[in-house]
Amino acid sequence: MNAGRAQGARKSTKVSIALPTGALMPGALRLLAKSGLARLSADELGRQLLVDRSSVRVILVRPADVPAYVDHGAADLGIVGKDILWETPGAHYELVDLKFGGCKLVLAVPVASRLNGPETWPPQLRVATKYPRTAEAWFEARGQAVEVVQLRGSVELAPQVGLVDAIVDLTATGRTLKENRLRIVATLGASTARLIANQASLKTRTDAVQAAVGRLRKAVTG
Amino acid sequence: MPGFRDRLPDEAEVLREAQESVLAEMRRWGYRHVITPMVEGTDVLELGIGAEQRRRLFKFADARGEVIALVGERTVPVARLVAGKLRSAPLPMRLCYAGPVLSTDDGRLHQRRETYQAGAELVGAPGTAADAEVIALAARCLEASGVKRYQVDVGHAEFFHGIMDAVKLPDEVKDAVRGALAARDFVALESLLEGTPLRSAEHELLLRFPALRGGVEILQAAGGLVRNRRSERALAELAEVQELLVAHGLGEVVSLDLGAIRDFDYYTGITFEAYGPELGRPVAQGGRYDGLLERFGRPSPATGFVVQLDLVYEMLSGAARPPALPRIDAAVAWSGSGLRPALRLGSTLRLFGMRAVVDTQARNEAEAKSWWRSVGAVNLIHCSSESTVSWTARGQRTRRLPPEQVAGRLAGGVA
Repeated sequence: MNAGRAQGARKSTKVSIALPTGALMPGALRLLAKSGLARLSADELGRQLLVDRSSVRVILVRPADVPAYVDHGAADLGIVGKDILWETPGAHYELVDLKFGGCKLVLAVPVASRLNGPETWPPQLRVATKYPRTAEAWFEARGQAVEVVQLRGSVELAPQVGLVDAIVDLTATGRTLKENRLRIVATLGASTARLIANQASLKTRTDAVQAAVGRLRKAVTG
Repeated sequence: MPGFRDRLPDEAEVLREAQESVLAEMRRWGYRHVITPMVEGTDVLELGIGAEQRRRLFKFADARGEVIALVGERTVPVARLVAGKLRSAPLPMRLCYAGPVLSTDDGRLHQRRETYQAGAELVGAPGTAADAEVIALAARCLEASGVKRYQVDVGHAEFFHGIMDAVKLPDEVKDAVRGALAARDFVALESLLEGTPLRSAEHELLLRFPALRGGVEILQAAGGLVRNRRSERALAELAEVQELLVAHGLGEVVSLDLGAIRDFDYYTGITFEAYGPELGRPVAQGGRYDGLLERFGRPSPATGFVVQLDLVYEMLSGAARPPALPRIDAAVAWSGSGLRPALRLGSTLRLFGMRAVVDTQARNEAEAKSWWRSVGAVNLIHCSSESTVSWTARGQRTRRLPPEQVAGRLAGGVA
């Protein structure tokens, strides 16, 4: 008996996808529609959080929770920003660059700050961020001692009130930084939306999951 | 503390039962049980496990200042044992073990920092017959524990190594490719491979890694693409193992997975993972690690696996028909001069393999009924004198009968 094939019809043919709320949601919905997997409005999904269609089940969760849903098998696939994956590495497969939701993770300082390239950094740099893991790894690779202050929001405020010397934050257009009189001194990485998959789903329900991956991949390039 | 928790009777009994059935199956295959300590010196563990696993060890210093760790797996301690105290025991050697292992993971969501594993190691046996033996044993262990639906994916570390030898890439790109694969990051892998001018069949195989899975036909398909001896030999071994597993009676549950991503620095040959239908992670995993014993001074081939008992429990409790919870067969109450016959009756029932609880205080028949309900037993026996016994089965009226007939009636399933 093959466990993968012997399952009930719902589980073996239906693929569940975790979608993030927030900035990536419109792009994710457009991609789902273009791939032909599901045509959903943001309103409908926002109201129900869980929508079942004939071939897919779509689950709406907070962006930072997408890897958890996928890693634990509650969703076969997930759409999530690379920035989230930097912070929560897991056992999932990162399969496709979905090419939307582009943004950069940057190191920014107040316009008036004397900080610039690495040669101007103090022996111990104080940095506020929502991305402590990524920031620490980046500074460590450059041999820079750093004190990371983890904040949940409004990171751009921290240097203005003297909490830190610099921030590491995500920016798409650079407008928020400019409005808060911050300038970019380095780029830590570039992020776009990614398609991730649960490791067991790829093995136990190979056909259905690979088919959905193929359609999404085609919707990106086609 | 996140990641640690108590196991209450309903869970603990199923978990323990699963562990016992897995160990019993291993013993039926001639594996001898060993018990290694909960702690090991970090010098021992570091010989066998990678940097990432080392980081996840609970470490502390003992009174003499030596750094010791709570074990995160038991293959390395068993290797230490085989190369140490069992140095003069002849090979091949078959050993099995069970117990909790610890890791410093966050303990978020379902993540556990203390998990239960049972494992088996076959040391000193090279060749596909040994590979097939441990895979078959792993499958039979899952069945023995009560898992009915599972599949086993078999892969080969050398298939990957051969590809990496043959693929035309600068060394630093190869390292990056290894890193991307280990992180299962195919977006990074794709951009690494796209940036290089040379294209080869190996190139294509790497990009299609997660999809290189199927039946024996996948071996022919891959065989048409690889042109290096390491990968070709791996494919030949996979074909042999697949055939042997059919002989073991497991042809139906086995798939071949050439794109299995495992710890390629540790595994040297056939690897495998077992999956259940509704579980996001492998319930058992293992493979050949011919390099480990050498580091302990007794070079020998070896292969083995672990079963994740917590995941077995999840599969059993989530199954359409969960395992019957062990129930208490009889609550034996007494009043007046009934204590002595009650104690004798308890002994007799246990002799028949039944679970019996004898009350510790006297109760009349009405009080005994409410005590019976709180015990949750199937039958209530009440002894009020040497010769007067009443028996109530759940949902039935009370009957009087001679004490010597009670055990027979209960064991006969009349209840």
